[in-house]
Amino acid sequence: MVDIARVQKELQECNKDKDSSGISVKLKGGNTLTHLVGSIPGPVATPYEGGTFIIDIVIPDGYPFEPPKMQFVTRVWHPNISSQSGAICLDILKKEWSPALTIKTALLSIQALLSAPEPDDPQDAVVAQQYLKDYRTFASTARYWTEAYAKSSSVGIEEKVQRLVEMGFPEGMVRDALNAVGGDENAALEKLCS
Amino acid sequence: MSKRVLCKFYSHGACLKGENCEFSHDWKDPANNVCTFYQKGVCSYGSRCRYEHVKVSRSQPCATSSSAVTLQYSGSFPATNSSRNAASGGTPVADTNRELLASSRSFFPANNPAWNEISVLPQSLDDIYTRESGTANPAELVMCSFAAAGNCPRGEKCPHIHGDLCPTCGKHCLHPSRLEEREEHAKMCQKRKNHLEALKRSQEIECCVCLERVLSKPTAAERKFGLLSECDHPFCVSCIRNWRSSSPISGMDVNSALRACPICRKLSYFVIPSVIWYATKEEKQEIVDSYKIKLRSIDCKHFDFGEGSCPFGTSCFYKHAYRDGRLEEVDLRHLGAEDGVTVIAKDIRLSDFLNSLRLSTYVLYIKYYGLITPAIAASALHTSSVGDYLFTAQLQYQVAYLVGYVMERIMCLGRKTNFIKYAAAECDFFIRFK
Repeated sequence: MVDIARVQKELQECNKDKDSSGISVKLKGGNTLTHLVGSIPGPVATPYEGGTFIIDIVIPDGYPFEPPKMQFVTRVWHPNISSQSGAICLDILKKEWSPALTIKTALLSIQALLSAPEPDDPQDAVVAQQYLKDYRTFASTARYWTEAYAKSSSVGIEEKVQRLVEMGFPEGMVRDALNAVGGDENAALEKLCS
Repeated sequence: MSKRVLCKFYSHGACLKGENCEFSHDWKDPANNVCTFYQKGVCSYGSRCRYEHVKVSRSQPCATSSSAVTLQYSGSFPATNSSRNAASGGTPVADTNRELLASSRSFFPANNPAWNEISVLPQSLDDIYTRESGTANPAELVMCSFAAAGNCPRGEKCPHIHGDLCPTCGKHCLHPSRLEEREEHAKMCQKRKNHLEALKRSQEIECCVCLERVLSKPTAAERKFGLLSECDHPFCVSCIRNWRSSSPISGMDVNSALRACPICRKLSYFVIPSVIWYATKEEKQEIVDSYKIKLRSIDCKHFDFGEGSCPFGTSCFYKHAYRDGRLEEVDLRHLGAEDGVTVIAKDIRLSDFLNSLRLSTYVLYIKYYGLITPAIAASALHTSSVGDYLFTAQLQYQVAYLVGYVMERIMCLGRKTNFIKYAAAECDFFIRFK
């Protein structure tokens, strides 16, 4: 049984200082509180600077006694984040979870993870290898990925818009839908179909 | 015979005066159930009032109130006049009458109608008052309950003595000459005040798990704090218990995650429920101690009067007593280990040996040798190298003997369900007598 009241409170709390922290959490389509979308700005002085990273959040039944399931929707080049699936390797989302943590603190931790990678405990071995052996290439790849996927004016969004328009939806609606769901193509499609 | 009217504090289970009380502490005596506020014209409880709403009017006082009162007249008034003892018993009656009298006067200010009793009453009342004021023992004087409750409408003219002002609660409720009572009141008052203050402070405190104010939760059972023994972070008792009893997800360590404080991750072994939050270490200690004392009085359901076994052993907070009231006597077995450290022996189970020894190999050996005799099993153990760093040769022999013996017995008995229990009993026996 999800603690609805707590999730609601967290949402309010988190969106209160969204301008200063840059972290925001929204409902992911529909009116269920168990599926959310969070977005965090890339930390400054890192290859991720300037990007906005979308994270898919699923609140499990046992929340807050179980950690929320978080996954990057935006593709990221980072040793602790799978470049394929967006899975995050972060202790507080697994065995170090505590009910005193919130969605916002978890997102903050992810933001901190972006600025301080842990290549010794990798999620994506290829990236971790590159990080350790050739940091310069790693940084440029990460920067390129940020440019390509994590900027709203990036090619990523344009490609998605194009694909959805090709499916037969008017462009204005497609852009609105993509904005509303934070750039997730599948969610936007769902929204358009509903 | 002297105490006629049932004490209303006693009837609610809370008369502080005890032996000193002017009212009867005998359930058989009738209670004075007339609402004095109603008679003055203002009872804020209206129809929900637990006292009788008897109107003082031309006809009713005779009919209703005196039906309750006249009964007492006949018995108590002669007694009042004759014995000193009865004076205190007579007062409540007089009090009621005065009440009626005062209010009826306000209703009929000038010339009273032909209400027979009224001409009788003042006289007898005056009688009592003069007696009372002239009494030798000031400790037996009746205190004015209105003044004690905050404000006496009769002020200076009140026939009863007005108590001294209590500095804590601001009411005139300290009896001038009953010292014990004064002290008791002061103590209770201070305690109540502290409790109220603590309660006020606690109102604002939020649980860090559900993010709600603990004392604003919907049900009464939820409006309790769960204190952790080792740190000072506030949670509701339901939240912290939920967290501690939730099943650990893979890789989670029970001690470092679930039993730790969600905020500071300090390990606490138990949670104490409390209605108020504490401000100082002493207050916390007081809450913890009173909780433990309360649990000490409850029989442990695991111990079950000696029939069961409690997994918490000597650390259990509940009472370990046998049916005849005798408390459990614990004889801890201290084992001196080789490195000089003394450890307390717990109940030994064969399964523990099986786990720590990786006995599967030995059991295989034993099976292989067809479970013939313990001696063979022992020799099998001796030849194994795994055992060397775990046990001395002697202990190895014991274990081997035990395994063989137990297996043999089980084969004979063919009762697998009792395996662990039986084996544990065997171990216990073996270790104690070897």
